[in-house]
Order: sequence, then structure tokens, then C-alpha cells
Amino acid sequence: MTGGGPALHGADAAAPVGDHAQAARTTRSRAPRLRTVLSLGRVEASRLARSPLVLAGLLAGGVMVWLTIRSPEPLWWNDGWRIGFGQLVLGMAVLAAAQLAAGRARRNAMADLYASFPATAGTRTLAHMAGLAGVVPASLLLMGAAAAAVQLRAAIGAPGVAVLAGGLLLVIAAGAAGIAIGTRFPHPLAGVLGALALLLSSGQSHLPWAAGLWLYPWASFSDQLGSLPGPLAGYPPAGAHALELAGLAVLAGIVALAVTASRARARGGLAVAGIAAVAVICLAGALQLRPIPTPDLNHLVSEVADPASVQHCTTASRVRYCLYPGFGSLLPSLEAPVSAVLAHVPAQPAQRLTVRQVVSISFPDAVLTHGHPNREVSRWDARVQRAPGNRGAAPASAIYLPVGSWPADGGQLADARFDLALSAADWAVRIPLQASGSPTSQVFLQCVPLGQAREAVAIWLAILATHPPAGELQAGLGAAGGFAEVRHTLVPTWNYPGTGYVTPPGGGPQDTAAGYLLASAMTSLPEQEISHVLAGAWGRWLNWHTTDAQLAAALGIRMPSASSTVTLPSGKRISPAPGPGNAPQNPLCTS
Amino acid sequence: MTHGVRTVAVRADGLSRWYGTTRALEEADLALERGVTGLLGPNGAGKTTLLSILATVNEPDRGRVSVFGLDPRDVAERVEIRRRLGYLPQELGYHRHFTVAGFLDYVAILKEITDRRRRAEEVARVLAALGLERRARTRIRALSGGLRQRLGIAQALLGQPDLLILDEPTAGLDPEQRLRFRELLSDLPGDPVIVLSTHQADDIAAICPHVVVLLQGTVHFTGTPAELAATAAGRVWAAGERDARAHLSWRGGDNRWRHIGDHPPPGAELVAPTVEDGYLLLSHAAGA
Repeated sequence: MTGGGPALHGADAAAPVGDHAQAARTTRSRAPRLRTVLSLGRVEASRLARSPLVLAGLLAGGVMVWLTIRSPEPLWWNDGWRIGFGQLVLGMAVLAAAQLAAGRARRNAMADLYASFPATAGTRTLAHMAGLAGVVPASLLLMGAAAAAVQLRAAIGAPGVAVLAGGLLLVIAAGAAGIAIGTRFPHPLAGVLGALALLLSSGQSHLPWAAGLWLYPWASFSDQLGSLPGPLAGYPPAGAHALELAGLAVLAGIVALAVTASRARARGGLAVAGIAAVAVICLAGALQLRPIPTPDLNHLVSEVADPASVQHCTTASRVRYCLYPGFGSLLPSLEAPVSAVLAHVPAQPAQRLTVRQVVSISFPDAVLTHGHPNREVSRWDARVQRAPGNRGAAPASAIYLPVGSWPADGGQLADARFDLALSAADWAVRIPLQASGSPTSQVFLQCVPLGQAREAVAIWLAILATHPPAGELQAGLGAAGGFAEVRHTLVPTWNYPGTGYVTPPGGGPQDTAAGYLLASAMTSLPEQEISHVLAGAWGRWLNWHTTDAQLAAALGIRMPSASSTVTLPSGKRISPAPGPGNAPQNPLCTS
Repeated sequence: MTHGVRTVAVRADGLSRWYGTTRALEEADLALERGVTGLLGPNGAGKTTLLSILATVNEPDRGRVSVFGLDPRDVAERVEIRRRLGYLPQELGYHRHFTVAGFLDYVAILKEITDRRRRAEEVARVLAALGLERRARTRIRALSGGLRQRLGIAQALLGQPDLLILDEPTAGLDPEQRLRFRELLSDLPGDPVIVLSTHQADDIAAICPHVVVLLQGTVHFTGTPAELAATAAGRVWAAGERDARAHLSWRGGDNRWRHIGDHPPPGAELVAPTVEDGYLLLSHAAGA
């Protein structure tokens, strides 16, 4: 042994070659394969965790989760599954990153060097699989951040552990698929194509068989989860789906190892493991395809068709709020705009107002009802059709709030509060909330309080109660407003952009541009002055014969005139001509 | 031709290898002792194929290989050979996003050096040996060709291999680095078996006690550099004019023509042959 040898260049870089020679020789590891796998797996995990692709996927996944959960009402049974979309995006990035890692040796022309190492290709593949542990923190971080965001929005219900775990397994399965692809196809494009295939699998427009929705890695948006009044067992079948994803991850790992296995015994073992994985996937698939039990669907239909049988009702300021179990936290948010409207009404109506949650799900739904006899499905459908909130028979003093429609916060909540306040105000001034029409024909027409003083009063009350931005109110005119045909006359209408959160039976009345303009003009007057005028002849102002011009005169303001032209989004202004006469006419609100 | 009484560590008997219809090796025999063996041959002679077979990366179509008495056809013995092997392929790509130290650490794990502390020591040792300490944290994509070649040599030295196979290790190295490489090989502890291929006959002469000349897939010479040079004894002349009868002739730095051939040019004087002369004469004789 020598005391040291020179470096290849530079005296300063020179260092002993043989100082540790004997030590290294005698202590050279004869590590078992497992230790090599773990050591290599640790390196791969670290590289994967720091991969720009994975970090970008984490960011994109977070954005995706936010986009999918920010609008609808926060319901855990819906949002848990939506968080999975973020995991799907992260999974795509992990797939591409894992493919790059697994194909690294071949892509970088290092296959010959790697083949000279005692660590076999199988060992390296196992290490890549172990390295997927490196993306677990990213997935957990995404899951945790998303869950915190959902919870901060006061989500109703509780997170489903199986659904959230499914998201994690999706990321791991995607990574395993990336490794399987990378061992065969080292070109980076292969990973990109794999990620795209994963993305395409999440869309359902191409699905020939809707009942198989949950069999895809992560189904998106073709479900009615966000409309349910609570979690429904087996919808989605989260546990079985997590089992399927675990099976897919194992199968992808086996496929990756099969590429490198040369010995017959190893191939035999992999074949057996592969068959077992396929069996697990098939079992999980069969479990996911099981029909939702009839008692559970019966219960759901009962909740939909007869909400009163399960809802808890609370009375506040003479208004009943009937909510499904677990939705009690909505009460303050609902009560505030309604109470604010009623507080400004000179005289309360004799009839009580009810604000009731309803469920707007549609039957038949192949995902919900597959496996059940058509007769049974038709029976459910018929019951759902008669449910409150569906157009048709409904009490005149009810405002319906579809489950899933009430926003948690932000501008949408402000819109929803105005929407509810306007419905409450319409009810308070006795504008009929329900539309006219036939439930059998499913054609309903909103009445129009054309030229009626009470319309402006209702809008003024809603504005007073919730103070929406003037710009948004104004946006309800013009192209957004449009026209309604009443008595063969085209009437410019006003549609507040942020409507649709509550559903008066039949959709409520159709407000006119003139009514809004008068209400807007009223907001420039002192509230006490208007209240005094209204209180002095409240019964008169509620009469549908009392005109808006009379109200304007009583208030001493000039009656604003509504434009008879509409500005299209393109900027073009049009003046609609009266219809041909055979189109359905909106009725006048006459009660 | 076999020299010395030392034990043969690596033996190849009758190796043949075809790539489709192209013959890379034919009935090649080889016996390597401990120490440095230089493998000389023109492009396409089969050097890389031969070295890759010795490195257990490639399998011969015919023939047998024995490395330290182990048979690479047996899976367990092949792994054992690889545990004692350091290999630098001729065309080595690199993981460009790895750092120098990160790459060496990765290779060390692939060489089953799983203990972190020992791995760190081993990486530090080869970094120092190749003068790459200051580049430890540099990404490979930022290295010059010469530095990458040194990194390739460094990875081959990881784990103190008993058999070091270096396919054109001095390609891309500047003269000073080549000299330091010679020193490095000379100072390797443990008397490993080293086989390196090169086009540089002076490298062979400088550091290889043994030399093998491979021509057209067949071993044409095995011996010492002196013996290779001696094959040209009496057939190398220096003259003032070029002689068309010479197999090879070129003008030297002293402005005189150096001729290799069987017939002395007029007025020529016989000169001492070099390893290069012997190799060129062999190549010419083989029609390579």
C-alpha cells in the first residue's frame, strides 16, 4: 500500500488515494439487497420530493382543489372527493417524474455502466418503488392544506378517511405506473403521454357505461355528491376504490419488475403476485359496481320528497327555517338577510314564511340507481318529481334553498344573501313567489309585476337589508336583463347577476328594469322618509293595482324610464320586436 | 504469449460475439494477471465488446470467461464479480442534473456500499484522487468533457475494485491529466487487475506491464510493451527521403522520414523500435 497518490490535476487537489484503501477493502459492504433498496430508495425519494415536476404538480393540485371547492357549499362528502382532483393533478406530475427517474439510466446512455453494478435492475426498480415514499409528504401536504381550507369554510359533515386515503393511493399508483412506463420507455414523452392518459381517464364524457364511473382512477364532476343532504353509503364507494388503487399500484410495480426479471423463479413469483393484484382489482371493481342498497336509496328519496320528515325547523322573527340535520350552522347566515328585510316592513304578513332546504337531484341517474329494477327507479323518480323545490305545487309562503347552493364566504355569499333577501321581500310585499304552469307539462312561467309599486318596494327592501354593490345591481340591466313578453308587449327586465342561490317555487317573479330603477332612485332618499310614506298606506302599496308611478309621486321623485334597447356583450344595441304572438306570455302578478 | 509466474486472474477462452452479421470478436483468448494490461487496437477491433464481456455487461455468443475463478453465466457468481468490479464504459452518459458528489454517492449505493459513513468516506476518497473535491457540489451538466471523464474514472474506483476495466480512460484528458492518470493507476493499492483500452501507445508503454493487441476481433499479440516493440526490431529505419516500399512512413520532428517496412531505404539507418512501431506493424500485417 502506498501512502498516497497524486490527483489528476493540481497539487492542491492532490490527496491520498490509498489512505483508506485497506479499510475500504475490508469493510466493503456486502449488503443484502434490502439495504441497497432502502439506501437507493432514500435517494430516489429525496430526488422525487425535490423534483420541480412534483413541486409544480403540488402547486397545480392545490389550485385545482381550490377551484373545485371554493364555489359550492362546503360539504365534506362532496369536498373530500374534490380534494382527490388535486391529488390527480399531483399524481400526473408524479407519474411523469417517476417515469423520468425510472428511465434515467437508459435515457442518459448509462445502461452499460448500470449493468456492471451488483445492484440489479430489479433492485433499482424496487428502489424506485420505495422512492415513491418521497411523494407521500407532498400528497399529505396537499390533503392537509385542502382539508384545512374546507374546514375553515365551516364544512358540513366530517371528512371521509377512505376518500382522503384514496387520494394518497392515487398519487402512489400514478407514480408506480410512471415507473412501469419508465422501465420500458425511457423517453420523456412516454411520461407525458401517461400523465395525459391519467387526466383523460378522469373525464367522463367518453364513458360508455356510467355505472362504471368509480372504476376510473378518479372520476370527476359526473356525480350528484354536492346535492346530497348527507353522505350516502357507497356513493362513492371510497373504501373499495382505495382498494382498487392499491391493487393498481401493486400491479404497476409488478409490471415494472417483470421487465427486469430474468430468472424463471422470479418471473413465476411475479406472475403469481400479478394474478393476486388483478384479483384484488377485480374484487374492488365488483364492490364498486354493487348497487346502492335499496333501503339507503329509499331513505334518500324520502329525504328529498318529504324533507319535513327529517329536517329540524327553527323559528326566528316569525320565519321558519327548516334545515337538514347537520346544516344548523347555516342558520345565522340565512336569518340575517331575512330578518333585515322584515325589520323594515311596516306590517308583517299574516302568513308565516318558511325557508326550507331542498334537494335538487335528478332521477334516473345511472350511477345512483344502476342495478335496481326500472319499476323501482320510476317510483323513486315520481316521488322526487313531487318534491318541494321542483316546480309545481308549492305553498306561496316558502323559499327553497337547494342543498349545495349556499356559498360559504366571499362575494358569492353576498350575492346569495341579496338573493334570499329579495325573495323574502317579494313575499313580504305579496308578490307571488310561485310560477304558473302545469307540473305535468313542466312548463312554468314567472309572473311579472309590471308597473307595480310593490316591485320597487321589494327591491328597495332587499338593497336596504344587504347593501349589494351598486355596480352589480346596475349590471342586471342591459344584456343581462333582457326582455319578457307580457300581454304582447316586450318589457325590459332586470336580473341581478348573483341570483340562483335560492329557489322560490317556480323561480320567483321576473323583476322589471323599471322596478329596479325606481328602487335604485329610492336608495338616494332618506330611509325614514320612505318608511314613513310606506307605513302611511302599506296596504295600498301592496295592492297590485298601485303603480310605480304613484309610488314615485308619493316619494316626490321623478319616475325613471327604462331603456327599450339591449346592449349585447359585443356592444351592439338592439331593440327587440314583439314576438309573433304564439310564444308563451309571462302573466302579470295579480294577487 | 504468457509472461511471469503470477496467477491468471481473468481468463477468456474462445470468445466470439456477433452483432447481426457484423463480427465483433472471433475466438479471442485472453489471460489477465494482476497489474495493468493495455488493450490496443484500431476502431472496430472489438475492444469495447471484449471489455464489456469482461465487465459482465455483455455475453459472448461463444466461449467462456472466468473472473477470479467465478463464472459470469451463474447469476450469483456474476453478482459476486460485479461486487469486485470497477468499470468505465467507452461512451458514458451522465445524469446531468446530479451533482458530482451526488452521482458518486448514487453509484456507491449501486455498488452496495450502503453504510452512510463509509460511503461518504469513499466518495471523498475518489473525489480527492481525481482532484474533484472543489467540484463536489457542481452539477454534472456544468462540467467540461475532461472533468466528466475524470468523474467517470472516479466512479470506477469506488469500492476499491479488484478488477478495473477502463475503456479509453484517457480520452478527453489533457497531457497533464494523462500523466496524473498514469500516476493514479500506479498508486492504486491492493494490486488490482486493471485492463484499459487506448489508442495512445505511449500510455501503454508508460504504465502497462502487459499489452494485448486486438485486431479484427482476434487477439494478435499478448506480451510486454518491450516485446511488442521488439516485433518491429530491424524493420524501422530513419532516412532523409521517403521510400515508397515502406509499409508506413512519416516525417518526424527532426525532419527525417521514419519508415516501417521490410526493406531499408537507401542510406537509411536502423533505429530502435517503439511500442507504436510494433503495433503499427502488427496492424499492417493483419490488414487492419
